[in-house]
Amino acid sequence: MMGGRLGDSIGVREEVIQKACKLSMKAHEKSPGKPYVHEKNRGPTEAFFAFPGSWAVEDWYSRRPFGEIKVDVSKFPSMKSVGNDEIALVNEAFSRRFEELLSRSSLATEVEKAMSDRKQIVFAGHSSGGPMAILASIWFFEKYIRFNHYQIPPFCLTFGSPLAGNHIFSHALRRENWARYFIHFVMRRDVVPRIMLAPLSNVEQGLQFILEFLNPKSPHYLQYEPTVASNFLLSVMRNALSVASRAACYLKGCTNLLLETVASIVELSPYRPFGIFVFCTGNGKLVVLENPDAVLQLLFFCLQLSPEEENSEFVHGMFKQHLAYESELQESLTMQDVTYLINLVDVPLSADARTNDAAALNDLGLTTRARLCLRAAGELEKQKLENQKKIDSNKDTIKEALKKIQEYKMSCEIRKVGYYDAFKIQKENADFNGNVKRQELTGILDEIVEMIKRYELPDGFEGRKEWIELGTLFRRLVEPLDIANYYRHLMNESTGPYMVKARPKRYRFTQRWLEHAERKPVGFSSETTFWAEVEELRVKPYAQVKDKVLRLEEQVLAWVREGLLGKDVFLDESTFNKWWRTLPFDHRSGSCLAGFISK
Amino acid sequence: MQIFEILNTSKSVVLAGHSLGGGVASLSALWLLSHIQTTAPSTSVFCITYGSPMLGNEPFSQAILQERWGGNFCHIVAQHDIVPRLPLAPSSPLDVDRLRALFVQLALQLSDENKAELFDKVLACMEARFGPAAGDDHQERGWYWPFGSYMICTDKGAVCLDNGTAIIKLLYLMLAEASANSCMDDHLKYEDYVTKVCLQYLQKRRLLEVSVSESSSESGIALALQSSRISSHQEPVYGTAVNCLATARQLGWRRNLNTAKMAVSLSKINPFRAEIEWYKTYCDRSEAQLGYYDSFKRRGASKRDFKVNMNRLRLGCFWDDLIDKLEKNQLAHDFHKMSKYVNASQFYKLLVEPLEIAEYYRTGMHREKGHYVEHGREKRFKIFDRWWGNRKVGDEESKPRSKYASLTQDSCFWAKVEEARDLIFNVTRKPDPGRRLLLLDKIQRFEQYANGMIERKEVAVDVLAKNSSYNLFREEWRCLKSQLQLLPSQFPDFQDGMVQ
Repeated sequence: MMGGRLGDSIGVREEVIQKACKLSMKAHEKSPGKPYVHEKNRGPTEAFFAFPGSWAVEDWYSRRPFGEIKVDVSKFPSMKSVGNDEIALVNEAFSRRFEELLSRSSLATEVEKAMSDRKQIVFAGHSSGGPMAILASIWFFEKYIRFNHYQIPPFCLTFGSPLAGNHIFSHALRRENWARYFIHFVMRRDVVPRIMLAPLSNVEQGLQFILEFLNPKSPHYLQYEPTVASNFLLSVMRNALSVASRAACYLKGCTNLLLETVASIVELSPYRPFGIFVFCTGNGKLVVLENPDAVLQLLFFCLQLSPEEENSEFVHGMFKQHLAYESELQESLTMQDVTYLINLVDVPLSADARTNDAAALNDLGLTTRARLCLRAAGELEKQKLENQKKIDSNKDTIKEALKKIQEYKMSCEIRKVGYYDAFKIQKENADFNGNVKRQELTGILDEIVEMIKRYELPDGFEGRKEWIELGTLFRRLVEPLDIANYYRHLMNESTGPYMVKARPKRYRFTQRWLEHAERKPVGFSSETTFWAEVEELRVKPYAQVKDKVLRLEEQVLAWVREGLLGKDVFLDESTFNKWWRTLPFDHRSGSCLAGFISK
Repeated sequence: MQIFEILNTSKSVVLAGHSLGGGVASLSALWLLSHIQTTAPSTSVFCITYGSPMLGNEPFSQAILQERWGGNFCHIVAQHDIVPRLPLAPSSPLDVDRLRALFVQLALQLSDENKAELFDKVLACMEARFGPAAGDDHQERGWYWPFGSYMICTDKGAVCLDNGTAIIKLLYLMLAEASANSCMDDHLKYEDYVTKVCLQYLQKRRLLEVSVSESSSESGIALALQSSRISSHQEPVYGTAVNCLATARQLGWRRNLNTAKMAVSLSKINPFRAEIEWYKTYCDRSEAQLGYYDSFKRRGASKRDFKVNMNRLRLGCFWDDLIDKLEKNQLAHDFHKMSKYVNASQFYKLLVEPLEIAEYYRTGMHREKGHYVEHGREKRFKIFDRWWGNRKVGDEESKPRSKYASLTQDSCFWAKVEEARDLIFNVTRKPDPGRRLLLLDKIQRFEQYANGMIERKEVAVDVLAKNSSYNLFREEWRCLKSQLQLLPSQFPDFQDGMVQ
């Protein structure tokens, strides 16, 4: 649990943070040919890679309004939700810059060199160098850590970085247990981390000016223009407010239907925070939090100005905060006045409260409204854990019912019929009891799937081994029965093939769980839909489906050898066997399955 | 015409209007929503009105909710504006003149006296209905009632509500704080209000005058009321407002909760349904060859029969409870459109209604009340017919069936069989020739219908069981026809139609 010194609780030593910050600032000064700064410590521990920012508007927004694209899943296969199969969105401009960096520079080689020296790798970046560090870290996780090629997870340290990805980033990184290696430092009043909440059309003009203002190499460095700056600030704040209050409505369970309509008309920024955020209050204190919903709220509320702050001088100061990370961190890392906002549900609402968190919240200047939003974020997190607890309590019921179905399957084999066919005929009492168990189980699983669809379970749920195993067992035992039921009622005639039109999410999801966890390609574990294949093939003329039949036979052979498919499929009276025997003689004699089927 | 062009090129349409223009905007939006439902369902329509008078009554608002259009309307009302509240008071010709003066922006020329009279009248009407002395039942039919969401703006912020009762109460409470002048002036100050509201949320403000409670829900409501300018010093107004916001919020939550619970109950009753399915298979295979319908109709006292009957009743209770909740507005507004329930109810209807019919004729209810389809059908089945009929039909191809359906696709098939048998019985009682012809015509029509069903394989195998009521009908009908053919002179017309 978090507490005490910052370095101890996040797992990065204070010197490393300071060093990373220093290198990140230094990276901006480097010649444009050098896409990153690499510093090897002589000592045995860290290797730093710090990335410079870019000060051109097109390196921030590739197009209107927000310039997001789907991540390249071939490079970042984990950056999605597993069951829902929703692919993460990333800022295109950042992603393109990173692609170039990776393909044109020696980053990959130098990283591998550092790995061979058993170094702790640290990716760092200030401003738009931050997203480079983020993408480099994810790339590293996907390429080395996920496949166990390297055991020391990298750290990603960003300073005043703009947001780079949508909510799936947070979801996926938490599921993979990588989120805690991403540590973002944000000055309370730094506008840059909020910019991506606004669409390009609202900020285009101001952004150009601000980037010049911040770029140490620009002739307009630190040249300030009060009206442009305050208009820019107002735009960013307005959009941050829209995003934050829309999110707050969701957190608070607001049921007003207006939200949906407005969402379909007003396009809001997709970008969301992820990882650990360390807010610097500006007076040497640090506030640390991990809940991405709460961070989003803080990104807006910390920006709120009180009436006495609404003057040009103050706003000027806000823009300069973006360049003050080094000195600010030096001070606060020495002071070590750190507050960890862990128990969001109980943050005090009143500014007069005297609890631990109270001072930190006051330093961030949070109003009651802001505190209510933090609580709501905490409540949602708590609710997700409670949902998980409830789901977990069903595990034994599921196991018990699966055992019954296993027994049913065995009893069928004794009767010399496969349970698929027995179930399809529905003649014996046992078939009926099997059907009742099937319905019980599908009810429980469907509830879980519903929750996953709405992201109502903790992000880690789809990565939990026990559920992946249980889901797989469930899928292997019960999906054949669902298929039997489907074709028994001839639903293929009214609705279409099972695989195309009717395969329930409970099987699609559980299959994806397994395939993701075992890092297998999509469709790898489709042995459970074997019967649906057979049912579709057997009503078609052989000539038309010859290739498919051949492929299916090869798969069957593999599945039977691995024990994924029972030998009951070859029994004399099975749908498969009966169909197979109708295939042309030439085919049968040459088939790889010929040995399994009695003549 | 212009709007059709817009529909072709735009993803969303926003309609807006001030005052009476708001009414026009709302009606246009409603028209547009009904229109695009079939032509361009992905276009979104959003209607914003400013100080628009209320438009319809409670059923009007209910209908909009059921179509899931509630979220397409946002009515912005300035705190004291009298116009939105006007329809709540009965109007007189005099008021019409006053309004005209107001609408042509001549508010200043309206004498103070006239303003005061109008204000007093509206306030008195609202007080009579929503004031402390009024009862709790505000939803008398016929009265104007809010629909969509209301955003009530003050100089301190805004509150947004979608619960009719809460909206109307707050409108009343805030009018009570107004004056004859402010209630007219506010109608013309929308630009001002709307600009301010946005800026207000960007600024940091502390809760003044309100002592902050550490309970989230209490302080949430306190914030909302601060925005509505109802301060805690104004008892009992403050207390009433707190209650009404708290109730509105609970209602919204309970609806979601009930909807979620319903899904769980549905999966719990599924095994009962499965047992009935199993029973059907058993009957269809039994040696008595009665089929599902007749087995149940002639059932004995076995445990199996008893159990199936219990399941029939249980399922009936579940669906009745669901409909009851829906009618009391305790479930999601578009519940009857969720495919999960539309499909489940259809399956239930096809499976269980034959049993209901069997029970009806077994107990001789048709002799007391008349035939099932007209007089004995439970309300739930008619509702499910409607759901199924209104569902969105996808692109599924409908190939001809290769086997008999697992369940007869017309759940009232058996009731029609019973009716036809009754008709045959009536014919044999030799009524007068005119009536007789009518009866025969009806029987013939049933026969055509049944043949069609069988040809298209839309019936389940139980219909064709050797000893089923349907086969009894065919037997009786054959006898009758051969009798009739013995007396062709009496029915020349009929005979022509009989060629088979």
